[in-house]
Amino acid sequence: MSPVGTALAGQREARARFTPGAPGAPVIALRNVTKHYRSGGGIDDVTLEVHPGEVFGFLGPNGAGKTTTIRLLVDLIRPDRGELSIFGLDPRRDGIAVRRRIGYLPGDLVLYEKMTAGELLLHFARLRGGPGSPEIEALAEQFALDLRTPIAALSKGNKQKVGFLQAVMGTPELLVLDEPTTGLDPLVQHQAHELLRAVAGSGRTVFLSSHFLSEVQQVADRVAMIKAGRVVAVESVAGLRSRSVHLVDVRTVERLEPEAFSRLPGVGALQATDFSAHFEFAGPLDPLVRELSRLALADLSIREPDLEDVFLSYYDGHDDTAAPSPALGRAGSDGER
Amino acid sequence: MASGSPHRALRAGRGGTVFRRALSEHRLVLGGWFAGLGLYCAAMLAVFPTIHGNRAFAKLVESYPDAFRSMFAVADFTTGPGYLRGEIFSLMGPILVVLLALLWGSDLTAGEEERHTIDLLLANPVSRRRVVGEKWAAMAVGVTAVTSVFAIVPLAGNPIVHLGVGVARLLGVVVATAFTALLFGTLALAVAAATGRRGLARGVAAALAVASYLVSSLADLVSFLRPVRPLSPWYQAIGVDPLTHGFSWRLLIVVGLTAVLVAVSLATFERRDLAVS
Repeated sequence: MSPVGTALAGQREARARFTPGAPGAPVIALRNVTKHYRSGGGIDDVTLEVHPGEVFGFLGPNGAGKTTTIRLLVDLIRPDRGELSIFGLDPRRDGIAVRRRIGYLPGDLVLYEKMTAGELLLHFARLRGGPGSPEIEALAEQFALDLRTPIAALSKGNKQKVGFLQAVMGTPELLVLDEPTTGLDPLVQHQAHELLRAVAGSGRTVFLSSHFLSEVQQVADRVAMIKAGRVVAVESVAGLRSRSVHLVDVRTVERLEPEAFSRLPGVGALQATDFSAHFEFAGPLDPLVRELSRLALADLSIREPDLEDVFLSYYDGHDDTAAPSPALGRAGSDGER
Repeated sequence: MASGSPHRALRAGRGGTVFRRALSEHRLVLGGWFAGLGLYCAAMLAVFPTIHGNRAFAKLVESYPDAFRSMFAVADFTTGPGYLRGEIFSLMGPILVVLLALLWGSDLTAGEEERHTIDLLLANPVSRRRVVGEKWAAMAVGVTAVTSVFAIVPLAGNPIVHLGVGVARLLGVVVATAFTALLFGTLALAVAAATGRRGLARGVAAALAVASYLVSSLADLVSFLRPVRPLSPWYQAIGVDPLTHGFSWRLLIVVGLTAVLVAVSLATFERRDLAVS
């Protein structure tokens, strides 16, 4: 970790180039961070590093500790134990310097209802010393947001849009987003994802939480999974994909020989009838396609399984933590308690 | 998304932004209080000529039980200063502005915590101290502005109803009233800043305001209250009528207490986990 003094001295220059801290130094570093609430819940021994220019996905079901971790980063709550640094600085002692470089979107977003969208964005811009109205107007136009509408009259999706815009305005070096696309319609979600990718492309850093891996995998480079307050896995999205198998469904017009598949290397979990076969296939697809071309196909589907399943199955393998919950994600545990 | 001049973004956030916002979001409320209290004062003044120098009425008042007279600061209603004291400055006026201040003070941080708007506010590059400090300053200005109606209306009405009150003494009692209100508003803030709970803050501040009023007003009659009377900020600020006796340095005790409570609020709010329910 770079000394605080050096980091502060270099801040002015670093900011202009969007290269925070010393080269290679993590933008966010948590070491054994523990935070408990009197009412229960919290996080235990969380250790994480997020690097410059990275889009880091933070994945877990509701109540797993995502929001706790994020609120620690912006100094709304303080850790019981462990070390926390952002840009090599202490989020508490150097809070103002740190937060000047962060755009934050809370998970439980509540805006000042009596202001208009424009007044609210301008109010926060004033608190930050920028940006000015022209940039705010350009952003609002890009996201089709009417700045003159009072917040109270906005739909949930449009409120979320306002929250998203206040986070990204002023091009902060680090975006900390707690479930940023909740409530956005798919088109705007797509726009938001594009913007996040552009942010990362310009060397800035994004830390976003979600309970949908399907969302995180679209934008993130790496993913951490948190469960019951503990980080159970950190993995690159590319690594997860490379480890993934394909699910193959074949239907034929002529009777098929199951041996044709079972002798192919990489085939597993084969289930076959006279006119159909269903199996998993690992490795390059070429030998499979060659084999398939000899058949009279009625229907064929080759698809990737959900990363969620891959993620979980991978960590089942070398699992030294508690038994994994199958309830993560879309069909998840949210409403089922 | 084009980055503007990065140097512009480096500039510190503009001071006073939170202060101005806090005042502007309360402007309708403040206008309402000002108008309401102004009407109350005007109505009181309109009645004054009918009892001005009315001996029969003075006699009637003298026949009231002592406890009643102490509690409601019934004095010589037939003179201007006595009338203003009895009708406005002994109870009704201070109680209403104390109410305004403690509602405001309890809401200052805890309101944003309970409404969950505090996250977005404090994630900005502003210190908690600055946020609380500026919001407190807005409350001080707002409460003082509302209290000023107690000087403005009598001064405006004086040529018609002939109160015979000096401007300096009137301003003195208005300042004392405003400072009393601010003390209890700041007490509510201190409880709210330490706990994040608006209801608790209101309860504590209101209970202490009522208790200190009763100690101040009943100590003349109840001998065992007399030793504790100096502990009542109400007594120190307005218990010894500034309208007839003029400005008292004892008001500085109230100012000092308020300053201590502001410091306590800043310190406890700085340390707390926010909006954790």
